[in-house]
Amino acid sequence: MNFAYRPITTVTFPCLPLNPNPKTQIAPKFTHLRSLNKTHIQVKPRLSHQIRASASDSSQTPWWVNVLPSKAFGAEKFLRLISGATASPICQYVSEPSTFLHSVDPRIKLVWLLALVVLPARSHIILRFGLVVYLAVLSIWILPRHTWMDQLGRVSLISGILFITLGLGSDGVPPLVQLRTPPPAMIGLSNLPASLGGYSYLIMKLGPLHFTRKGLSVASTAACLTFTVFQSASLCLTTTTPEELAFALRWFMLPLTRLGVPVAEIILTLMLSLRFINLVFDEVRNVALGIVSRRINWEQLTMMETLDVFFAYFRRIFTNIFSHAEQISQAMIVRGFRGDSNAHKIYLLSDPSIGTSDIVSLLSLVTVIGASVLSDYFLV
Amino acid sequence: MMNPSNLIHPSKPFVSPLYSTPRVRTNFTENIAIEGRNLSFSVGTRQGKTIPILKDCSLHIPSGQFWMLLGPNGCGKSTLLKILAGLLNPTDGTVHVKRPRSFVFQNPDHQVVMPTVEADVAFGLGKFNLTPDVVKCRVSKALDAVSMLNYMQRSVQTLSGGQKQRVAIAGALAEACKVLLLDELTTFLDENDQIGVIRAVRNSVDSSREVTALWVTHRLEELEYADGAVYMEDGRVVMLGNATDIMNFITTRQSAYIKEINY
Repeated sequence: MNFAYRPITTVTFPCLPLNPNPKTQIAPKFTHLRSLNKTHIQVKPRLSHQIRASASDSSQTPWWVNVLPSKAFGAEKFLRLISGATASPICQYVSEPSTFLHSVDPRIKLVWLLALVVLPARSHIILRFGLVVYLAVLSIWILPRHTWMDQLGRVSLISGILFITLGLGSDGVPPLVQLRTPPPAMIGLSNLPASLGGYSYLIMKLGPLHFTRKGLSVASTAACLTFTVFQSASLCLTTTTPEELAFALRWFMLPLTRLGVPVAEIILTLMLSLRFINLVFDEVRNVALGIVSRRINWEQLTMMETLDVFFAYFRRIFTNIFSHAEQISQAMIVRGFRGDSNAHKIYLLSDPSIGTSDIVSLLSLVTVIGASVLSDYFLV
Repeated sequence: MMNPSNLIHPSKPFVSPLYSTPRVRTNFTENIAIEGRNLSFSVGTRQGKTIPILKDCSLHIPSGQFWMLLGPNGCGKSTLLKILAGLLNPTDGTVHVKRPRSFVFQNPDHQVVMPTVEADVAFGLGKFNLTPDVVKCRVSKALDAVSMLNYMQRSVQTLSGGQKQRVAIAGALAEACKVLLLDELTTFLDENDQIGVIRAVRNSVDSSREVTALWVTHRLEELEYADGAVYMEDGRVVMLGNATDIMNFITTRQSAYIKEINY
């Protein structure tokens, strides 16, 4: 026994002082062990508080280890995320401060919305970007600071991603094509001269990717369209009450009653669903909050038990929503609704008088439409 | 269907009903706004059993007064109110309530059906053929009564529970009904709002000889605003009379109960 130990000690100890930097020898082994240990811990969520402590001080763990989803935290995080979500996921009407956009007739706003969907798709690129800038400036001017920062940030992120992906993706990697005819140099002709006006199909070269005229056209159309559609809709929703929008829709749809379209019913359904959407989101949030507040020990649950909790969650949401619907229908009966939406008037209390803001708005709408039509002729 | 043995040998109530009314209907006098005679209501379970919820309830509330309906949890107050509102059909007995009547639910989320405050208050007026000016006037009057006039344009979603409750009450007030049936309105309200709402109802009862209100509650301090009260227990109307009598009755019951558990 004694004899067996001795060679080991004699071998290891002299070895260390000989090496100028002993750590280099030991370190790989340690890191290996440590990283193994860490990945092991990551799988076992019970010790998870150690992961965070070690994540900052070691550079040895690959960064993606911390990104790996662990089941227990996923469930908890998911429900917390839902319960903490904002109450109004869809753009909420902002009544204060009251601006001139609030006073514009909702019918004119609807026409504007339609124009802003059609124009970017059909007009010149300068006008497209002009509309984007116009909408951005209008939002900054009209809305409170935190609202427009939030809205514009999100919309520009989406349209920025669209612009880059489409710009490079649509025509970015030109296929290698072999011409059937021999190149001009071979048959004794000079090369095609470059455009005198400075025209070039290729705008920019980014490594292997080409940014071409076609890419620019596709990307600018898609990005500008996305921007104007989202931003104009949210601008309209934040400055118009649902009732005003319903009033405008009803006004536009009234001629359809002659064709037998149940306009009153459609408008009532629209209003009820506008109220109900919020109730549904409330319900989803409240039930999630209920589960979170039970302090379930997710780490001890098996996969099936976690799934079971989630199924219970969805079932609860649906039963609650259906009971809500039933109660609301009862409330409507109690409040005098007898099932005939033509007989039950819905008062959308907005005055249809035309003010100066309406006239200004209409004039600028005509100007924009005119500019986009003319841009096709004059700007090439 | 009601279990017949229950009618013949009712399980012994705490206190026998003080008022027993004959099954024959007397003349429905003009000054009675709400009248229920021998009302019974039972529900069937999945096992085929019937569970009685209301057992032979009779009450009559004079016109132009503010009455309360009191009782412990689960004694059938809300069921009785729903029968009076016509939302449920009684298994047995007759109901007479003056028209038009309106009912306000306990949970305002069930009552408010439109996305904006103004439109919701105006919703109940849809059955009348009114001009927009009249509607606007009525809506702002009703919202003023519950001190919510500054919230006309607000989205219902952004309101608190108490504010939604007041919008629901304003909806009932705007209809200018002769009978208001109010189901535990003060559940979501803070103390200030509770008094505010109860005063609003009191005012609307006082302002017209015609309006009658029946208010379900289990807060005794609200009794001082009432003209009379009905006390229920275990599906029966135990007592009905003026507010002070009921107050005394309940306080003696309470002290007797406290004595009993301390004994």
